[in-house]
Amino acid sequence: MSYKIPYVDFGPTTRSSKVELINAFGRVLDSGRFVLGEEVKVFEKEFADYCGTEYAAGLANGTCSLHLIFRALGIGPGDEVITAPNSFIATASAIAQVGAKPVFVDTKLDFNIDPDLIESAITENTKAIVPVHLTGRVARMNEITNIAKANNLLIIEDSAQSVGAELDGKKAGSFGDVASFSFHPLKNLHAFGDAGIVTSNKIDVITELNMLKNHGLQDRSTCAQWGLNCRLDEMQAAFLSVQLPQLDALTNERRRIAEFFNKNLSEVVDTPTESKNEKHVYQTYVIRSDRRDKLKEYLNTNGVEALIHYPIPIHLQPAARYLNYKKGSFPVVEKLSNEILSLPLYPGMPTQHQEQVVSLILKFYGIK
Amino acid sequence: MKLVVPYNYIPEQFSNHEKFFDLWKPVLQSGEFTLGPFVENFENKFASYIGSKFCIAVNNGTDALILSLKAAGIGPGDEIITPSNSFYATTGAIVAVGAIPVFSDVDSRYQIEISGMKTLITKKTKAILPVHWAGASPDMLQIIEFARQQDLLVIEDACMAIGGKLHGKSPGTFGDLGAYSMHPLKTLNVAGDGGMVVTNNEALYLWMKKFRNHGMTNRNEIEFWGVNMRIQPLQAVIANYFLDYVDGFVRIRNRNASYLDNLLNDLERYLQIPNRLNHNLETFSLYMILASDRDNLIKYLIHHGVEAKIHYPTPLHLQPAAQKLGLNKQALPVAEKQARELLTIPIHQYLKFSQLDYVSQLIHTFYQNESR
Repeated sequence: MSYKIPYVDFGPTTRSSKVELINAFGRVLDSGRFVLGEEVKVFEKEFADYCGTEYAAGLANGTCSLHLIFRALGIGPGDEVITAPNSFIATASAIAQVGAKPVFVDTKLDFNIDPDLIESAITENTKAIVPVHLTGRVARMNEITNIAKANNLLIIEDSAQSVGAELDGKKAGSFGDVASFSFHPLKNLHAFGDAGIVTSNKIDVITELNMLKNHGLQDRSTCAQWGLNCRLDEMQAAFLSVQLPQLDALTNERRRIAEFFNKNLSEVVDTPTESKNEKHVYQTYVIRSDRRDKLKEYLNTNGVEALIHYPIPIHLQPAARYLNYKKGSFPVVEKLSNEILSLPLYPGMPTQHQEQVVSLILKFYGIK
Repeated sequence: MKLVVPYNYIPEQFSNHEKFFDLWKPVLQSGEFTLGPFVENFENKFASYIGSKFCIAVNNGTDALILSLKAAGIGPGDEIITPSNSFYATTGAIVAVGAIPVFSDVDSRYQIEISGMKTLITKKTKAILPVHWAGASPDMLQIIEFARQQDLLVIEDACMAIGGKLHGKSPGTFGDLGAYSMHPLKTLNVAGDGGMVVTNNEALYLWMKKFRNHGMTNRNEIEFWGVNMRIQPLQAVIANYFLDYVDGFVRIRNRNASYLDNLLNDLERYLQIPNRLNHNLETFSLYMILASDRDNLIKYLIHHGVEAKIHYPTPLHLQPAAQKLGLNKQALPVAEKQARELLTIPIHQYLKFSQLDYVSQLIHTFYQNESR
């Protein structure tokens, strides 16, 4: 089914960079390098600069970047990693993939992990905390950093949804030991396919990642350790370089639309909030409604592609059954999963569409 | 020194930008950037080309091998028999699923040695992972028979063998699962990374489809922990396009290979050209010969603009990564000897006979100078 008001449309932003994208395309074809060439190197540098970290390592997607981070940090069987159960599945599955155990901690009503609950989840096997900057808002990194320091734990930021988001003027991906980003096609900064990157100030972690992502090769003929192929695509890197300089302007546009929604919808539903020291990038614009299912159906029927991210929390997924969590294990996340609804919001979204979304929701609630 | 005989032909293969942009346009317009119809189209076309019931396209050949091993239920503690002269990813994939590679020596055609395989079998052996190395094939019929006797699975690394044939069948379709790569310099290639797994087993296929995409049953439900090893649709359309040409590429590579074989034939004192078997159409992903004084010869060739290479100077069992496996230096004498003598000469479909003449002249001159 196609919607009159789609959840996202990258047409407007892609069209505006058409010439640069085509130039990048030709440049890569002419280079004869499709694997780990100059484009990847250049984008890694640009992205590290953008995030305010020393280094970045391009990877094939946000899932393998998390997986390889755990491997590079030596996290494996017997280890526990603390994270939130309301993220995309890959956060937990990457932990499981290296043989470690995901340990979930409930979130606050802003969708991010509740620091007050972290310490009670720490055991002698805990190696790391993976705060997820969900929806485009940075988690409570000051509190989390203090807990990590006090307990000698690593911090891996899952920044897949928060490129450009800030807390106290610092960007997502620059708080922890290492951070993982995704440039999945639906992300604020996106490739035209799968892509990901890791940021860090630690050269040893980046060196290890670069080795692991390319077969464990130290040079063409020496395999220092058995690795994988999780390389960022050269062409996608070139496309990302075209789009990165426009990101802040696009984020500001997202924020303007979010403000418009906030102003007009906060009377009838819970709208996202933002403190003075935060910059929310609205990767997803998520409202909370006590009649969510009905509201979603109403919007969908009226041509608005509203979505749920995500209806089943990770701890209640069949894949996580062996972890023995139950319904009721994480009351806030479970409550949220029944109330959250993501509205269409993207740079270039026609004003008329924005207004229609608002008026439909108000109408649903009997106003107007 | 100007490059007279380049190894890399990507700029030539992709010189018509318009052509490739046209291939990408429908993908860009559709916004189908993860899986979707473009990927499915290619999978169906490849399955029927290769002669297998099911094909699943993944992000690269390494992922194809990992996915095959996972689907076959290979895991921690299992031993897998594999040759010692492949690309690192063959062993890397075995280790990635937690299994233990058991290296076999190789024969004069650089293929896995079958006669000694029985001695490598233990209670833990679960599968054989033969490699169609360089695009030539090992004796798959014998391997399959042996595997059946020993109750082992066979997972074929056919990464270099798209377009090849063994007894009229495609490499990768003899065993339980076959893995392929579309790395830029393969016979079937994309503008980046890509790979495939083929199988006739529907249950394995359905499992792989889920595992490739986060273990998802549908958008909201996760049946088991999976990964993201999706092929890029932008690459799938290029693969789809080149698939119509791959037989032609292989034909030209064969023509070039025979031409060079003939030119070098008189140097049998110095060079050893592997047997070419009538029932094996090779892809010549790599044209490799054994050369005496190899290290000086390759320097000489490179100095004169021939981009010769070595695949590879150190066999897998002697890599630092293999140290944990405890194989000593004399463990696999043939693979070790070949590693000292192997030479790869460019043979790709964009080369002209005159360039091969030049290579031959250089090699002749090199050995003339040496014997003087």
